Amino acid sequence: MLMFTAFSFGQKYMTKNGKISFFSNAPMEKIEANNNQVNCALDIKTGDFVFKVLMKSFEFEKALMQEHFNENYAESDKFPNASFKGKIVNITAIDLTKPGKYQVTVEGDLTIHGVTKKVTEKGTFEVANGKIRGVSTFKVKLADYGIKIPKTVVNNIAEEVEIKVDVLMDPLKK
Amino acid sequence: MKKWLKVLLVLAVIGIITALYIYFFVYNKPHRDIEKAKPDFTMQAEVLYKEFTSQKDSANAKYLDKVLEINGNLKSVEKTDTLSIIVFSFNEGMFGDEGIRCTLLPKYREMASDLKPNDMVTIKGLCQGYNDTDVIMEKCSITNP
Repeated sequence: MLMFTAFSFGQKYMTKNGKISFFSNAPMEKIEANNNQVNCALDIKTGDFVFKVLMKSFEFEKALMQEHFNENYAESDKFPNASFKGKIVNITAIDLTKPGKYQVTVEGDLTIHGVTKKVTEKGTFEVANGKIRGVSTFKVKLADYGIKIPKTVVNNIAEEVEIKVDVLMDPLKK
Repeated sequence: MKKWLKVLLVLAVIGIITALYIYFFVYNKPHRDIEKAKPDFTMQAEVLYKEFTSQKDSANAKYLDKVLEINGNLKSVEKTDTLSIIVFSFNEGMFGDEGIRCTLLPKYREMASDLKPNDMVTIKGLCQGYNDTDVIMEKCSITNP
């Protein structure tokens, strides 16, 4: 147990102010929302990688969009939390204790709107000044997560939204 | 003036007013002003945290999107490039402090610099939920008496 504790020291990184943005590019309307309250933790030894997101924390330029997002699409009262739980697939091939830029593939369960799906996405880790910055851009198909877009607004909301993740993680101090 | 022309003009004016109304007050209606809003609940920070940790679902139903005024002894003030966050801590988890994180409105950034750990503060803000480590409050103001 003691050995395990010593072993795990300095291998976990985290932030509680990660950023996730999403963009919907529909013919009639471009919608963007930002969330700066994302919990994210990474274990650089095992490659475990976890995100916790509150749907209500997404901020839109227009109050009406935010209202529609929470009430009609994300149903944030019913499903206030979104999460990702997964692993860095190529963790053994990279050394995140050394400064540099690394391409990673992340695989795991993404839960949005109460629906969990297996996803595999690519991203970059940059190790500098004792911190790790994780960046990724990927697409999510709303229908996959049971989010229905009524026909009347198909020109205003994209079926597939682009998600941008940017997390700057500090080493966990115990 | 011919009668039909009058009717047409009146209809046009009504149409324009309706369009302007929808544009300004529906499509572009402003975000809620949390700073000026009356709190829906006033309570101790620790009580709020305990409600979320013990019964997440009922706490969500009760507090999501509500304006809360909470008071307690702060643990720390965290600052990033753009955000200032008042942290209340009621538990030590795997990832350090667990409690309530209150992101201040930008205008309170300076006021937050004067705060020290363990100071008693009263914070008003919008409750956005519990992410399994912390209760998140947004658009917060410091409302110390």
